[in-house]
Amino acid sequence: MSSHFIKESDFAAFLAGLIKEKKVVGPVAKTSRQQEKFVFAQLERGEDLRLDYDVTILPPKKEFFPTQQDLVRFDGPRREGCVTPEEKVLFGVHFYDVKALDMTDLLFQERNDDRNYTARREAATVVISNIQKVSPRAFWSSIGAEIQPQGHDAWLSRIAGGYVLEPRTPKGAALLRFGKFATATPAQIAAARQANDAVAAQCPERLQGTSESNARKVRAAFGQEELWTKLAEDCFSCGSCNTVCPTCYCFDVQDWWNVDQKSGARTRYWDSCLTEDFAKISLGAGATENFRESRGERFRHRFMRKAAYLNEKLGGPACVGCGRCSAACTADIADPTAVINNIPEA
Amino acid sequence: MMAKPKVAFFDFTCCEGCQIEFTNYGDAAFLELLKHVDVVEFREAMSEKTKDPIDIAFIEGSFSREADRPRLEDIRKRAKIVIAYGQCATTGGVNALKNHTKDYKQFVYQKDAAMPHLDSQKAVGVDQAIKVDYYAWGCPVNKYEVLQIVSHLLHGKEPVIPNYPVCVECKRRETICRYDVGDYCLGQTARAGCGAPCPADGIPCEACRGFVDQPNQDALVKVLSKRAGMPWGWAEGKSRMFTANQRGDAA
Repeated sequence: MSSHFIKESDFAAFLAGLIKEKKVVGPVAKTSRQQEKFVFAQLERGEDLRLDYDVTILPPKKEFFPTQQDLVRFDGPRREGCVTPEEKVLFGVHFYDVKALDMTDLLFQERNDDRNYTARREAATVVISNIQKVSPRAFWSSIGAEIQPQGHDAWLSRIAGGYVLEPRTPKGAALLRFGKFATATPAQIAAARQANDAVAAQCPERLQGTSESNARKVRAAFGQEELWTKLAEDCFSCGSCNTVCPTCYCFDVQDWWNVDQKSGARTRYWDSCLTEDFAKISLGAGATENFRESRGERFRHRFMRKAAYLNEKLGGPACVGCGRCSAACTADIADPTAVINNIPEA
Repeated sequence: MMAKPKVAFFDFTCCEGCQIEFTNYGDAAFLELLKHVDVVEFREAMSEKTKDPIDIAFIEGSFSREADRPRLEDIRKRAKIVIAYGQCATTGGVNALKNHTKDYKQFVYQKDAAMPHLDSQKAVGVDQAIKVDYYAWGCPVNKYEVLQIVSHLLHGKEPVIPNYPVCVECKRRETICRYDVGDYCLGQTARAGCGAPCPADGIPCEACRGFVDQPNQDALVKVLSKRAGMPWGWAEGKSRMFTANQRGDAA
């Protein structure tokens, strides 16, 4: 598909037109004590969109797999499914988060089509934005670099004087009518490519080795109990690394009744394998067992899942280098580059 | 579903604020709830008392006087289900702050310190005297969680009481971490279930629901010191307010 250019001065009108007609979700600022962080939220006004964000607290996965999602609502014997596709434009996603969406797309479809996820996903138009500011813990340039983002409908790049929009699907091309776009010149297309390429060199952290060599050495370290115990010494089992991860997809399901005790819902919640009770299972007759009882086992499991276990299925590691886990861990022990780089070659 | 269970509230060493929480659902929800439970004793809201068997006993307050043991045992004997209700009942709560001190009586009661009715022992959770079936944590309890505990018991379902830290709930609602703004927080070791309202309002979690079952207390002291810049001694004692009996140095 051809590339299009919109002038900086026309961009606000484009956004305003889009927001008027569609639900648009994009990165917006959130502040506490003058500290600015970013979250994906529905845009009320174009001015709130912050394409200069570094990384969001939660990944855009939450738009399709909400932190809390009703699966069934019931009222006495009446039951109703809650597949709620909602047309929306997810605007300004960084490419690493689209790579993560590619993974959850696959994981929520293999064997069983999870309509609570896929229906929402299909109803969305995803627009990538080039990374204008790199987050302090990012390492996306050195992990799974061989894998390109797939699940997007258009790619927006900021260049001098405006933006280049490259539609990738008809849904993406349908956005053009909202703004004063002109066919992009070869120079503008080259500038867009340059904007995306140049930023890769700015990643502050770096994962060494290849996806294969890392998978091999992480797997080979499985039996080194002391290593994992030591790495997890300061782990709180707080689940922050999982909860902010764009490729984590585990959930728990619970039933809730309203105060009338007749109506209620079956709801799923994001779960986290770092927390103590994740692997606690029933043995029947009131007895329980926890098959990952120690912090070290849980910590190890995360690295196995991210660096090795899913690689065949996904074509690469289940990590896109967003650095959210590294930043969210108050003990600063979750950083995949620090952990994996320090595991010796098998 | 359990037929309209007889529910009673009992209080020991506490401020009775958790009982008050039970009256804070608003009229509509509270009156609806009363269609499903038969409240037979609840001194914050009614004068009737009972000596009969009870289905669900909510026990509020810590066990801080040996003289209270027979009353606790009597409640246990009469109740099918005992719920430790609020942080004092679950762990001793703020009452337990005295446990590691010896001179609190002089400071608190001064000239009356020697009066016999002010005598008390170590403040502990009621499970140190009787068997407890479920724990409604918090100072005060989360009234919506209590509603769900009751609801799940009515439906014969195991109540859902989190054993994961407050961080999970902060992340789910995308609260900016207190550590990222130069503050401290106890959320990494604090039991969730409150929905993490404090950090969302810009104040640290003080672990008012106590610790999770396996809190990493050493790591907490390190992080409080390293990232929040607390002097080591302060960092070591910081979590005591609601967790005195859960800490490694519990008296």
